[in-house]
Amino acid sequence: MLTAIFRESGARAAGLSLLAGVICWILVPYVSWLTVWPTAWTLPTTQWIGGGVGWFLELMKPTGRGLAYLLEFPMDWTRLTLVNTPWPMTIGLVTALGWYIGGWRLSALGAVGLAFVLASGYWNESMSTLSLVAISVPLALVIGGAIGLLANEYPRFKGPVQSVLDVMQTIPTFAYLTPLLVLFGFGPVVGLIASAIYAAPPMARNVILGLERVDPEVREAAIMSGGTRTQQLFQVEIPTASQQIMVGVNQCLMAALSMVIIAAVIGGFNDIGWEVLLTMRKAQFGQALLAGLVIVVFAVVIDRMSGALAQQRQQHDKRVVWGLIVLGIVASLLTWGQLPNVSDYAFFDPSAEYVDRSLGAFTAANGAALDGIKNGAMFYMLLPLRIGLDDAVLTFTWGFDWTAGMTLGLFAVAFAVGLLLAWRGHVVGGILTVVAVGILHTGVSQLPWPFVMVGIGAVAWVSGGRRLSIICVAMLVMILLSDLWERSLLSLYLCGAAVFACAVLGALTGLLCAVSPLAWRIVQPICDMLQTIPLFVFLIPVLMFFQIGEFSAFLAIIAYAIVPMVRYTRHGLTTTPEDLIEAAVSSGATGPQIMREVRIPFAAPTILLGLNQTILYAFAMLVIAALIGTTGLGQSIYLALGKADVGLGLAAGAAMAMLAMIADRLVQGFADEQRKALGLNG
Amino acid sequence: MSTDKSSAASLSEAAVPVIACKGLWKVFGDAPESKLQDALTQSGGDARAAADLLIKDGMIAAVRDATFEVHAGEIFVIMGLSGSGKSTMIRCISRLMESAGGSIEIDGEDILKASPKRLIELRRTKLGMVFQHFGLFPHMTVLDNVAFPLKMQGQNKQTRHARALEVINLVGLEGRENSYPRELSGGQRQRVGIARSLAADPELWFLDEPFSALDPLIRRQLQDEFLGIQSRLKKSIVFITHDIAEALKLADRIAIMRDGEIIQIGTPTEIVLNPVDDYVREFSRDVAKGRHARVASVMTAAKTIPAPKKGQPALRLDMTLEDALASCISTYKPVTVIDDQGKAIGVVDPGDLAAALQVEAT
Ligand SMILES: Nc1ncnc2c1ncn2[C@@H]1O[C@H](COP(=O)(O)OP(=O)(O)O)[C@@H](O)[C@H]1O
Ligand SMILES: [Mg+2]
Repeated sequence: MLTAIFRESGARAAGLSLLAGVICWILVPYVSWLTVWPTAWTLPTTQWIGGGVGWFLELMKPTGRGLAYLLEFPMDWTRLTLVNTPWPMTIGLVTALGWYIGGWRLSALGAVGLAFVLASGYWNESMSTLSLVAISVPLALVIGGAIGLLANEYPRFKGPVQSVLDVMQTIPTFAYLTPLLVLFGFGPVVGLIASAIYAAPPMARNVILGLERVDPEVREAAIMSGGTRTQQLFQVEIPTASQQIMVGVNQCLMAALSMVIIAAVIGGFNDIGWEVLLTMRKAQFGQALLAGLVIVVFAVVIDRMSGALAQQRQQHDKRVVWGLIVLGIVASLLTWGQLPNVSDYAFFDPSAEYVDRSLGAFTAANGAALDGIKNGAMFYMLLPLRIGLDDAVLTFTWGFDWTAGMTLGLFAVAFAVGLLLAWRGHVVGGILTVVAVGILHTGVSQLPWPFVMVGIGAVAWVSGGRRLSIICVAMLVMILLSDLWERSLLSLYLCGAAVFACAVLGALTGLLCAVSPLAWRIVQPICDMLQTIPLFVFLIPVLMFFQIGEFSAFLAIIAYAIVPMVRYTRHGLTTTPEDLIEAAVSSGATGPQIMREVRIPFAAPTILLGLNQTILYAFAMLVIAALIGTTGLGQSIYLALGKADVGLGLAAGAAMAMLAMIADRLVQGFADEQRKALGLNG
Repeated sequence: MSTDKSSAASLSEAAVPVIACKGLWKVFGDAPESKLQDALTQSGGDARAAADLLIKDGMIAAVRDATFEVHAGEIFVIMGLSGSGKSTMIRCISRLMESAGGSIEIDGEDILKASPKRLIELRRTKLGMVFQHFGLFPHMTVLDNVAFPLKMQGQNKQTRHARALEVINLVGLEGRENSYPRELSGGQRQRVGIARSLAADPELWFLDEPFSALDPLIRRQLQDEFLGIQSRLKKSIVFITHDIAEALKLADRIAIMRDGEIIQIGTPTEIVLNPVDDYVREFSRDVAKGRHARVASVMTAAKTIPAPKKGQPALRLDMTLEDALASCISTYKPVTVIDDQGKAIGVVDPGDLAAALQVEAT
């Protein structure tokens, strides 16, 4: 009954989209504003935002500059302390901390990691970066923790706070920077504040979640013991939630590190992110890779150490901690004044040069092959998707020109397949086939706006009902009126292509890992690593081989965004309840049958959530990828940062956030639907 | 056992009850109080009709017009299927939840008017509570868990640890005081829960299905220990269970709940022998009635009562059917029943006796 209705509404939505598509198709040759929204009809939203926010920022500027001035003191102190502490001391302390948290493993990780940083010659730059993190993280923890507690104590605020956190998660990182730049002036303080703002939400989220998950009986036991609210909170609820809160600390640290490195694009601080950017711009990929590795090492050390805090851990011998610290002090004293300047360590420079040379040789030898890959992907996949088969198929690319006859043939085939599917009972599938062919023929970036709106509105209706549909269409109208439509479609196209690739590759990898434990043993550490690496670093390898351009961006997005798809797919497939499997086995199902009939349907909601995460990751990376040449919103946001154009930065950032939110809600809606159909949590 | 308990209960009946609930309502949903008022006015004060109105309005009426008293020193058991509103009811009494209507008095004090400060004071000194899933603080040792209520009162470490050790011994956990809850078995965890609830020596003890999460063997063991503790401490107890056997074993009086309503209150015997309706009867169906029903229920007042024969003991009025059957299993003639004073007051046909047991057994 329910599924019948669902199918029906799905069919109606698909039909509506098709109808809109057909009408647009017919009208477009005569009505040009269906594809290109005339500039004369747009609202000067960008200017309004620029004016409004600009006015506010001007008002706040004295305060902001004052704050920046004040923050510079602790920042400088921390930096001076970190840079001037003799490295044996620093390494001794970190090793001791590693021991304290997680025994010899973490202790060794800390020692080896820092030794690598030291040997790379990037010690001082790393310490600069670390000093920013060291100031921004406590700020973020306090702000995030306070927000979390507030939301917990005053349930009225919980809903609004959570929506704000949701929105903050979707606002692209660069978009934060522009207004802060205006407010605080050029300089490292902007990076510091941006990273504090960026890193606070995960903390707040986890505090809320942790406190929510405190067993109600534990809470009641605290009340019945006669505790005051403060006693309950600090002596029972927070300690009980401590693991979840430590997860928040871990995420907060990683977010702060990531943002501090991204903020290097502002420049003005001799930190490791800047080093990567600089060497990348000079095409010194060996050095860029080395600096990138330093970042990765930091990320891994910080992540594993703070991650271990969130787990049950046993006590490790405290004497070793003191021993390591004393060792560090003694080594520092013995070598006092005799250590060479840390910047002169350059053990890996030969390797970096070797990488450069080999890369040069490799690209020289295999340039044709690399170009082949790149052009193949561009000409046969990305370009048709972007501008449509009718424009992308040229003698230059495909060896022949697109003709009207081909259009006719293509649609004839599409309708035939569609009818066949419909006749077999897959009405939705049939209609969607035709629509998909239509999109491919036109190209995502040239889709008429009424079609996009009707299509997304219809899908939203199916996924989340009328309310969601209205919200989605309203957001799209705002984008259209703000003259950001074309750029949005460009972003949508690149993101969509990357997400599609992630979905296919990720699902297959996840499936493989679900079937073969060996595969998962290989893939899991790779996934862990990819999730730890700050966004920025993904750009280095793709640049090395494919230079600046859309294809490099495409690859970087895939590399970053594929992880959740793999993880969730595997997780969904491997966590089918045992009794379901047993029931299937005792009904005589074979392995593949169990997979198809039980595991995959049961995993569907989880896989959809993975897709959802992948989409959000892709949007996040899309903006960073603007550094290596993408068009669309990401590029606008990045340009706005360069020009300190608050209006453009915020408007484009908001448009990006809206697209991400639309995608997020649509997929979530379908996941909920699936879960309900399976009778999972209500 | 049962006789001295009921007499203890009846003795204190004259005194102020420890808990007195009148017309207690708990409604989940928006604006419960005004909606309840509206529903009651609309239904003319009829509880069932009001509840139906509330449900139609999308509200959940978890406790409906509950009225009962708990006397000093008695074990008052609230029994009902899961979801019948038992937990909700004691949470209203302990003000862990706010009720929508009615009145609750503890020792004559209107607890609904108590200020937050007074509530904390009451919980620190007067009320103790044990939870179904123990509600232990995972980050504290057994000792710290048990000492926690005392810590809230501001007692110093030495005093509170000394007292905590006392209670830990009382529940038989000596030697485990430095363990963490995760290192204990279910039965041991609930002992910690019991110890914690007793640490501040409360007069009024709430237990919300304390043994339901335990294995049957452990459950029986803890029930016995619970009775042992109670015989020494003489608390006033509200004990919740969904298990009729547990209720009959522990209770001085039982209140049976269904869909938020209390449908019968009585001693275990009354519940077993005179169930008010099929719902209550259904509960006691599987109970070995021989152990709860008394001779009085099958006795007939014969015209001529033969004097008890020599060698064959007469049946006493308050004997359970099981005992009665055991003592007259060999005769096929009516057996005389005597009252407290030894006066012969009626006869029981062994056939009736067997039939009564038979009927109950199916
Ligand atoms: N916080 C709550 N919000 C809404 N409904 C609740 C809440 N707590 C309990 N209920 C409902 O109240 C009814 C009684 O629940 P409860 O008192 O826990 O039953 P019991 O303890 O007898 O198993 C149930 O229908 C339950 O769904
Ligand atoms: Mg309950």
